[in-house]
Formats: sequence, structure tokens, C-alpha cells
Amino acid sequence: MKHVEALEILLQGLCGVKKERLRIHELCLKSSPNLGAVPSELRILCDLEQPEPTWTVRHVGGSMRGAGAEQISVLVRPMVESKASKNVLRFFYALGYKLDHELLRVGFAFHFQRSVQITVTVSSVNKMLKLHATDEAVPLTPGMQLVEVTAPATSENYNEVVAAVTSFCEHLAPLLHLSKPGISTGVVPTAAAAAASLMSDGGGTTL
Amino acid sequence: MPLKWVLQWQPNPGTTVNSQILAEVSQCVEGINGVKEGRWKATLTYYKPILRDQATSSEMPRDFIGMSLPEQPSKYYFTLRTHRIVVESDVSVQNIMEKLQSYRSRVALIFEGFQYQLGDFQLRVGKVVPSHSENLRGIVMEVEYLPISSLEKSRQIMEEFFDIWQEALSKRSLPGHFIHVEPNFSEFGLPDHYTSQHTAVQYATVMAQLIASAQAVSTARN
Repeated sequence: MKHVEALEILLQGLCGVKKERLRIHELCLKSSPNLGAVPSELRILCDLEQPEPTWTVRHVGGSMRGAGAEQISVLVRPMVESKASKNVLRFFYALGYKLDHELLRVGFAFHFQRSVQITVTVSSVNKMLKLHATDEAVPLTPGMQLVEVTAPATSENYNEVVAAVTSFCEHLAPLLHLSKPGISTGVVPTAAAAAASLMSDGGGTTL
Repeated sequence: MPLKWVLQWQPNPGTTVNSQILAEVSQCVEGINGVKEGRWKATLTYYKPILRDQATSSEMPRDFIGMSLPEQPSKYYFTLRTHRIVVESDVSVQNIMEKLQSYRSRVALIFEGFQYQLGDFQLRVGKVVPSHSENLRGIVMEVEYLPISSLEKSRQIMEEFFDIWQEALSKRSLPGHFIHVEPNFSEFGLPDHYTSQHTAVQYATVMAQLIASAQAVSTARN
């Protein structure tokens, strides 16, 4: 937790704008066995932090592959999102999609406008003990939080965006190393000292 | 937003809709001092499921419609009439549907024509044609009353306008008349305050009626 607080101080210092609280109910739907030429899945996100919950439909495609992709330090994949009205879950159920799993992400986010728009989210991923019971969620990995750095790109500019994200991540290096999903980095050796430094003077230290 | 009624042309038994009727309807609007303002266009698409085993097709929705409306260029509307579901999304949802590859477009229809101003009313008269043909399948008319958004509060004035309109049109002795079938909006979870989701539901109802009429004509012929 101390590392998370330190990370928040660091990000606040870099961003200059207040953090955005996150409480997102994420429902992963998969097509029923007979539906579609190939199996498909999509995510329905419900933002519970808003006074009135807002809904988003998200489709994430497969990640970029090949030798070129392996050279890139970040994951590049297509994503399409759409806002939707509150009936959207019932709608996809009626179309033949079924709930595969659901999660509750709780944490915060900072948005940075540099040469590209970068978002850093720090969240705990929680599972629900009963269907849709977001008030009774427990952490999947107690004591550990997920840090995600994302940026939108087009097929024309993704190399520049990759460079900007990679460069941005270096600011976080004293506290943590980010990697592609699936590749573990472990705790950074300097993390404890960096966290202590950040916490002691509330972010005045330049790392 | 202001409420509207979507009316559809009901041909007399044994007759079909034709472009002459469309012309007469437009002339009638101008005859009651409707001022032509410009064109309008809406599109409607029927989606059908892509199934690996066709035997299960009866379990899948048969009335899955997607619509784009001229007054909401950044939005797209899905209805599943039998399930009483309407969803408003961003237009990007169409990209999502393409990527899912679980449903594909079966038939697309266009509603298009002219828009008229008549006092506090905005009227749209439109032909219904398949997207790649000029084969007239129907005629629709939108009657929008600008000062009011409440369906209940507007009911009386809308009915009065509808009576005046029917009477004006009856003088032309056309082989049919306009009907208004009001869906039960509350079954779709929609409030008394009118929205574009209400419009999408009205069009889904119009389509169900058009298909039923076409099937009745086809049955009568056989």
C-alpha cells in the first residue's frame, strides 16, 4: 500500500491535475457455442463512480504479432469502444452472449496530455462472491495492485505513441518497472527507498 | 426533445403503395401550408445471426434492428422488439458488431424525403425503399410537435392534428390512409419524456406492421 501511495504522489506531481477515482464493474461476455463464425467476446463496463452509472461496450482485438511486435516494449492491439444506454447488458444476453466472468476495478487514474494522451490507472482487481454483488467484492490478489499505462493510437502513428509511452514509463522507474502483460518484472530494488522518499516530503523530492 | 408520432401508410386491401400516392401526400402537406425546408434521411438495418448450426435459428431474435436517425448523427439505435429492448449507442458500436462477426446485415432500408414546417409542427414525409433499389415499399410520416416533450401532455393536440390531417388527405380519395400504432413505451423502459430511443421503437413497430401487411397481401394472393 505504501508503494501505491508513493506512486500516487509521484503521478500527482507529474500530472498537476487531481486524480480521477475509479470504480468500474467489468463484465466479460462470450458468445454462446453456436453463435458466430468464430467465438467472440466483448466487455461491458459500468462506471459506478458517476452519480448515475454509465455504460460502455468495449471490443479488444488480438495483439500485434510478429518480429516487429517483439521489438516493441509495449502491447499494441486494436480496441473499439462505444457508450451505450443502460439496457446494453440485457441486449447482448438477448443476442446470445453469456457472462463469462465479472470484475470490479477500484482505484484511481491520472490523465496526461503530452505529445500523446497517456492514462495511468492504478487499481485493485476484485471478484464478486455473488452475481453482480459489487458491494461484496474481494481482491483477486490481496496486497497487489495493477498499474496500467495506456494511450490511444492509429495505425499511422502507433510507433510514435509507443515511443512516448516507453519514455513516460521511465519517470516511474524508481518505483516500478512496467512490462507487457504476461511478463513479470518483480519489485524494483529501488522501490522501498523511492517510496519512503516520496512519502516523507509529499512529493517534493525529484527522483 | 420534442415528441413525435411516426405514421405509416396503410394501403386499402387489394392495393399497394405507389409514387403517385407519395406525391399526393406531399402536395397535401403543402396544401395545408406546410413550408418545405429540406431533405431528411434515416436508415434501418435488419441483422441476422451467423450460426454454425442453422437448426437453432428459431431460438435467435428475428427482429434485431439497427437504426441511424438524422437528428442524432453520432448515435446508433438497436431494437429487439419482441424482447422489448432498445439501446442507444455511439456509431462506433457498428464497428464492434463487425468485429464480433456474430451478426450480419440482412437487409437495409432507407426512409427519405422532405421536411416541412407547419406552425409548431415539423412534418417529414418519406418513402421507404431498400438501400440498393428504388422499389417503393411504404410511406412514412413523422409529425413532431416542437413545444412539448411529454407524451401524455401532447396526446390531445396530436390527436387533433391527426384528425385534421386525415380529413385534408381524404379529399384526395387515395387508396389508403395513415395509421399511428403507438408502442407501449413503458415496456421498453422508456419514460413519458420523449427521446430518440422512442423514435427507434416507433420505427421498429412500423416495420413490424409493414411486414405483417406484406405477408397478408402475399397470403391473400395465394
